[in-house]
Amino acid sequence: MTENINPKKNRFLTNFQDERIILVFLVLLIAFPFVMNLITGTGLNEGVTKFWQGQFIVFFIMAVFAMSYDLLMGYGGILSFGHAASFGGGAYTFALLMKHWAPNFMSNYRIMVGSINITEAIVLIFVFLAVLLISILIGLLFSATSVRLKGAYFAMLTLALGSALYILVKATDFHQWTGADEGLHGVPVPLWLNPTQNRLTIYFISLIFMFVCYMVMKRMVNSPTGRVIIANRENEDRMRMIGYNPVVYRTIAFVSSSIFAGLAGALYSIWNTSASPTMISAVMTINALIMTILGGIGTLIGPILGAAIMQTISQFFYTWFGARWPLVFGILFILIVMFLPYGIVGTWRLKRLDVKNGWKRITGMLSRKE
Amino acid sequence: MNNQNTDDNILIVDNIHTFIGQFHILEGVSVKVPRGSITVLLGRNGAGKTTTLKSILGLTPPQEGKVIFDGMEIQGKRAFNIASLGIGYVPENRAIFRALSVMENLKLAERKKGDFARNEEFIFNLFPDLKRLYKLPGNHLSGGQQQMLAVARALVPDNKLLLIDEPSEGLAPILIQQMMEAIRSLSEKTTILLVEQNFLMASQLAQRFTIIDDGKSVENGLMKDLTNNEEMIHQYLGASIKTRKELERQHEN
Amino acid sequence: MKTKKNKAITIAIWVVISIVVVAGLYLYAGKEPFIRTTLSGLTLGSLFFMVAAGLTLIFGLMDVLNFAHGTMFMLGAYMGWQLYTNPTFIFGLMPFILAFSTGIMMTSAIKPYLIRWKLPVKWIEILPRIGYALALIAAFIGFAGIDILELADTAMVAASVATANNPLAEISPQLPFPLFWYRPILLFLSGFFIAFASSKPGVKTEFALKDNLIKKLLVPVGLFVLTIIAIIVRESAPEAILLMNGNWRFLISMLVAVAFGFLFGAVIEIAFIRPLYERAFFIVLMTLGLSFAITELVQLLWDPLAYQMVRPPLFAQPGKAANLLEWLRNGNSTIDIYGVTFPTYRLFVILLGLIMFTFITLLMTKTRLGMIIRAGVQDPQMVEALGINVKRVFTFVFALGVAMAALGGIGAGPFLPIQPLMGDQFQMQGFITVVIGGMGSYVGAFVGAIILGMGRAFGDYFALKLSLSPAIAEASTVIIMVIVLLIRPQGLFGKKE
Repeated sequence: MTENINPKKNRFLTNFQDERIILVFLVLLIAFPFVMNLITGTGLNEGVTKFWQGQFIVFFIMAVFAMSYDLLMGYGGILSFGHAASFGGGAYTFALLMKHWAPNFMSNYRIMVGSINITEAIVLIFVFLAVLLISILIGLLFSATSVRLKGAYFAMLTLALGSALYILVKATDFHQWTGADEGLHGVPVPLWLNPTQNRLTIYFISLIFMFVCYMVMKRMVNSPTGRVIIANRENEDRMRMIGYNPVVYRTIAFVSSSIFAGLAGALYSIWNTSASPTMISAVMTINALIMTILGGIGTLIGPILGAAIMQTISQFFYTWFGARWPLVFGILFILIVMFLPYGIVGTWRLKRLDVKNGWKRITGMLSRKE
Repeated sequence: MNNQNTDDNILIVDNIHTFIGQFHILEGVSVKVPRGSITVLLGRNGAGKTTTLKSILGLTPPQEGKVIFDGMEIQGKRAFNIASLGIGYVPENRAIFRALSVMENLKLAERKKGDFARNEEFIFNLFPDLKRLYKLPGNHLSGGQQQMLAVARALVPDNKLLLIDEPSEGLAPILIQQMMEAIRSLSEKTTILLVEQNFLMASQLAQRFTIIDDGKSVENGLMKDLTNNEEMIHQYLGASIKTRKELERQHEN
Repeated sequence: MKTKKNKAITIAIWVVISIVVVAGLYLYAGKEPFIRTTLSGLTLGSLFFMVAAGLTLIFGLMDVLNFAHGTMFMLGAYMGWQLYTNPTFIFGLMPFILAFSTGIMMTSAIKPYLIRWKLPVKWIEILPRIGYALALIAAFIGFAGIDILELADTAMVAASVATANNPLAEISPQLPFPLFWYRPILLFLSGFFIAFASSKPGVKTEFALKDNLIKKLLVPVGLFVLTIIAIIVRESAPEAILLMNGNWRFLISMLVAVAFGFLFGAVIEIAFIRPLYERAFFIVLMTLGLSFAITELVQLLWDPLAYQMVRPPLFAQPGKAANLLEWLRNGNSTIDIYGVTFPTYRLFVILLGLIMFTFITLLMTKTRLGMIIRAGVQDPQMVEALGINVKRVFTFVFALGVAMAALGGIGAGPFLPIQPLMGDQFQMQGFITVVIGGMGSYVGAFVGAIILGMGRAFGDYFALKLSLSPAIAEASTVIIMVIVLLIRPQGLFGKKE
């Protein structure tokens, strides 16, 4: 096994991980709407500029969702097919409270600080706290099932739990709250957050959201706790012998990943001013999975890239191939799985041993034998 | 290396290197097995004896080196191809099929129809117990019976070479004796490459030995030379070998 | 002995629990609803079993969670339904598929000679690539100018007035022979190039014996003959089939669905799953991708619509039969069972499930292949060490599993709408069944399917009684799964690690 490592190329790769390059991207993304406006001259909240802001907002939110999946799968070594439960749970919690509770509350109470009406802010804070709570609960629910189950059984149970939630959300019994098949539409978001009137605000909020989530997750992964989570993935028995309780760390991985997903879901619900059953369906989980795979597992930056690719593909493939573009995408995906197994970032970093080792573990995740 | 006379050696393992995952397990193992003999692989735990057997069979294919069986290069071929050339394998953990009955375990090992019928008598002479247990499912057998079944399974087709991994492991002394007798009478029929930790058993059975240490084959020669060479025994096998006294005590029990 | 006693006690407990549950349900629901719900539960369970049997075997033997299984169920329904209502699609494409597989099946005959070919290293690398490229080009030219969409075109409800008067109304036009004859040849060449490339000319580490050339040529020659036949009957067979008695036609369409499922499963396993066995996780992704792509392909061919299949005459006459004999004589659509009016077709589905269970049981316990599968579930490596080509067994089991799902699909065809996502629900329930029964155990799949089918049927019954939607009952099957897993994490019939 002789590997020719090109030092120049390698330096680029290490640089790529560097936060400096992330900062460059951040600056580019901050400048993007203004530059676009300069070029097209349509105005910040109109035409092409507005359209592309929308595309980017979806990208930012999906990137966080994909990153949270990567945190669970790539770092925690936990393959869950019910991750959309957290995303959809966040979205539905937000939409439900905003639609059914907030208007009532705001018409009955008025909280003032001096002459400023802060009722709206209080309501938003409360709603987001509820989103946090629900995400934590969903994370705990899923991690509780992993105490007794391993491998494929666990994967199946997460799939089943996720689809049970999906079915319940679609059930006609709760039509007056969840809107059943159609979902919740016309969620009243505060004017300054309205995606049609104040798209630029959401653009920046979701950009900052993505950036902050990335930094937090990065810090988490490199923290002592994160190291234990990764070590847990490698060898649970050994960690138990050293004195760490794997269950605790798996729960931490689950809950934190669920929180990020839930927040992303809430933001997505603001952006759409709605919550629909698709957000909680297995399709959503698979989307996150595909983004993570495309970009590269266990890299955090990979899922961002994957989300960008997915967003671009769905945008252009539709214009190129028409309504049946997913067929082309499906074939592309099959080819990637066959020929580019480590994803895009992952293939870049392939020579780094830790990624490779991590992959070996994850690859063996579903295998009972050995 | 190529001008070796392959006629008297049924198996030549020539400097093989095997990786499992990224671990370099075998770093140059060479073994020669003369036709009609019992050759034993000796070495400490984790030295790479089992991996050598698996590499010969293609279960963990060697990345480098040659394996020549019956004058034919077999490295890199699929395990079932190699096995069907006439190699029987008795794995160390008695990997008999627990969900199958004794009969089915034996029938499964047939390579051609009628293999079992032809060798049935020989097998049941060797292990009379199995005849009694014929219809029992594999998971109802005791450890010793499982070991016998595992050996018997390798005898169903007419194999030219048997790879037997630790036949005495975990067996009661009386069963060890029985197993030894069985292996000895087998050697009249075919060639055997044996891995054995029990030095007493190995020294009584084998004509030749190869010592594997740390993934490399370090010594080989005639067994009777080794038994006289206490120094070599202690250098390579020290930890795993019981003193003669211990062995004798075990024997008496 | 102690374990035996424990086992007996556990079985006794399970039996008592199930008797109590059944008796409770009977007393609560009353006789008529109980029988009706039980029968619908068995119908559902039968379909679940047909999906779960394949899933459990595939997982048990090769650790593959096949997320494309529901898609295969759906494909089976589509294929059977196509043959039943508009066979032009199948017969129009048959010559291509047969010619192509004739080419591919040449592999075992030409491989022994190709790998002994002395080639420079450069050519060893380049030749396969040229082979694959040529195969692509040949296939492309072969297909160019064929309007597959038109071949597939079928009316949504085939029981319209037009078909009643003219059974041939659905037939799609096909290319005339002068525009057609060279295409199968090109497809054969395409397959042959793939055979050439995949047998790795010049690679010495490959292994293939030169013996039995005639035996190896048997399959391709047989396929060649079939190709010729398929070319000859291409235009006449669809009419002949449509003019046939509906019952026979349905039987043929079931056979076609099974055969299609088997071949398709084999192709999927060889082409897409086999290269990934070293990387188990990717198989999940691959099956997800396949499911996605195939569903889209079906939507492209038949549009995302829900089609209705006409029930075969044996189950179509209006009116209620008093007993089995009367039904078989008159072909009534419903039958009287202990005072309950029940659709005859659903009885047939239950029968289908039972037949399949018998078939699998016989296969697993009485044949050598079954022995190999049971052994392989425990330790595929050791099976290989005995000199058995385990990979071929993998292919067979995958193909068998897909064929069973396809049979389930066509079985469900006459009473469920045929649409691209019809398999998803069954796949989900199939997974739950497999987990309940224990992965790798076909008996477990059978018992799990019955439990789940009953659970669904009685859940629906109670949901209706409590004026809840059936969705609640569907979601509550997950609760059954959770309960079983809490008691036995390895499933009812699963082996402990």
